[in-house]
Amino acid sequence: MEVQKEAQRIMTLSVWKMYHSRMQRGGLRLHRSLQLSLVMRSARELYLSAKVEAQEPEVPLPPSESPDPRLHPRREAETAAEAAPPDGEQPSPEPMDTQEEAPGAEETPGRVARPPAKVSRKRRSSSLSDGGDAGLVPSKKARLEEEEEKEASSEVPDRLQPPPTQAEGAFPNLARVLQRRFSGLLNCSPAAPPTPPPACEAVPACRPADSMLNVLVRAVVAF
Amino acid sequence: TADIISTVEFNYSGDLLATGDKGGRVVIFQREQENKIRPHSRGEYNVYSTFQSHEPEFDYLKSLEIEEKINKIRWLPQQNAAHFLLSTNDKTIKLWKISERDKRAEGYNLKDEDGRLRDPFRITALRVPILKPMDLMVEASPRRIFANAHTYHINSISVNSDHETYLSADDLRINLWHLEITDRSFNIVDIKPANMEELTEVITAAEFHPHQCNVLVYSSSKGTIRLCDMRSSALCDRHSKFFEEPEDPSSRSFFSEIISSISDVKFSHSGRYMMTRDYLSVKVWDLNMESRPVETHQVHEYLRSKLCSLYENDCIFDKFECCWNGSDSAVMTGSYNNFFRMFDRSTRRDVTLEASRESSKPRASLKPRKVCAGGKRKKDEISVDSLDFNKKILHTAWHPVDNVIAVAATNNLYIFQDKAN
Repeated sequence: MEVQKEAQRIMTLSVWKMYHSRMQRGGLRLHRSLQLSLVMRSARELYLSAKVEAQEPEVPLPPSESPDPRLHPRREAETAAEAAPPDGEQPSPEPMDTQEEAPGAEETPGRVARPPAKVSRKRRSSSLSDGGDAGLVPSKKARLEEEEEKEASSEVPDRLQPPPTQAEGAFPNLARVLQRRFSGLLNCSPAAPPTPPPACEAVPACRPADSMLNVLVRAVVAF
Repeated sequence: TADIISTVEFNYSGDLLATGDKGGRVVIFQREQENKIRPHSRGEYNVYSTFQSHEPEFDYLKSLEIEEKINKIRWLPQQNAAHFLLSTNDKTIKLWKISERDKRAEGYNLKDEDGRLRDPFRITALRVPILKPMDLMVEASPRRIFANAHTYHINSISVNSDHETYLSADDLRINLWHLEITDRSFNIVDIKPANMEELTEVITAAEFHPHQCNVLVYSSSKGTIRLCDMRSSALCDRHSKFFEEPEDPSSRSFFSEIISSISDVKFSHSGRYMMTRDYLSVKVWDLNMESRPVETHQVHEYLRSKLCSLYENDCIFDKFECCWNGSDSAVMTGSYNNFFRMFDRSTRRDVTLEASRESSKPRASLKPRKVCAGGKRKKDEISVDSLDFNKKILHTAWHPVDNVIAVAATNNLYIFQDKAN
């Protein structure tokens, strides 16, 4: 239990650090983001294995875990990476190597990740929401919140009720921000599982801390 | 905070010492020559030139500010009276020429001493202008600007032994430049995965071999070093040698992965060895042996049990540099509490010294320090818990020939000399 708490604390701390690293002058640092995501991953594994040990053998693992391995390893590097299309879309060919470029042109991940406006609008609502790549592409905050309001208005899911205080820990505001920002992610991400994550449906069976964990994990992934 | 020193580098002769800071400024110190009038001043370094190398910039496409902080300075070998150095921030490398002017021409025919053009009708005689001495003026001018070649943040630059080319490395790519050509660079290493989701490691440092102009090494965040030979192929994605020490399973911890990240790699002057710095140790590698280092020196092993706190206060991400002395018999690196460590490779002795005003009266000897890792603290020892983690020595440099070292402690530069000098 102690191990679980500690692991959760480290995960929360890591998410906080990731969030703050975006605000740094000079933009998102790839190496730092990679290191933070490595710690996140270790903490998560520790948390999950501690949870498994703590559980009785008969009770199967909560189904919440199944979408995560699919989401998490697929997207984990995105926390460290520049914006890249997560869904099946063919990424536009990367800008040419430096030596072939016209002088003054800069190879930018923005070019890969920002196709024509209407397509990117759709993509924006996925894990590439402004959270992660604000450091890499111009912020589209207003538009994203519009979308979120449209899509998530009537559906404020029960599963995303404010988490219990134990999970909020030291960062209640961050938890709320994450909920608000990424409720859109959970609702309409094209790459997300077609059905809402089972953990969120199986409210009676799942401990409140788990849904917070999932939100946090997805938040990290979205970075 | 703009004064925080971010890089320190001696030139090839050791007569000049350059520092770069967070505010984009470069300050160059020059060693005083032997002087009969002031015998003690021999060996002192005084300010020679100061200039603003980089300014903050804004990348409009990405809505990102580009910091002006100088990440690295590397000197070019001197070829004439002027001095040249490369300085880089996260995105742009600049070649600076530092030249002296100590004479001024007087007696022009067409203009007055104050520069005004003379009335042609009043010029009745022709004279040859005379060079008169003037107060020494040191001018720094940017001669080349190498821009727009790095998507990620530049962490290293290294001048090749051919004195014509140099490399610049960012998190995922290494580019080769010709010093005369600014609009083109060749990408020689690219570790960017096709799918960024598969990214597992980044380049943390790179350097050219001191004598073999076709050889370079680069270190990674996974604690490995790759040696590349540019003769084997144009794109050095396949290494010629791969240096990695197998992980000691007993020391595996939650933060093992991130403390194994190499923050600096330096060839020895001889070119036979290279040294790497990870969070807790310095390792010396024989280029002929890839399986493990030939020496491992613990810098501050007492921090291993504090990694969680160091993660919380971000110190675990600190990137320490390391350096060789002129004869490759000793290595030096920094630590916390303004401590720095020197390891003598031949005698296997090491010493911890402190760079602080209190402990450094001019011409006094530095007293060795000791950190008490646990148990009873002896007199004069410092306990781990009272170390100041805000006082970190990330950048140190050793004179290429003499026993003179430069140690950057936040925004102060300390220069220490061996008494025997």
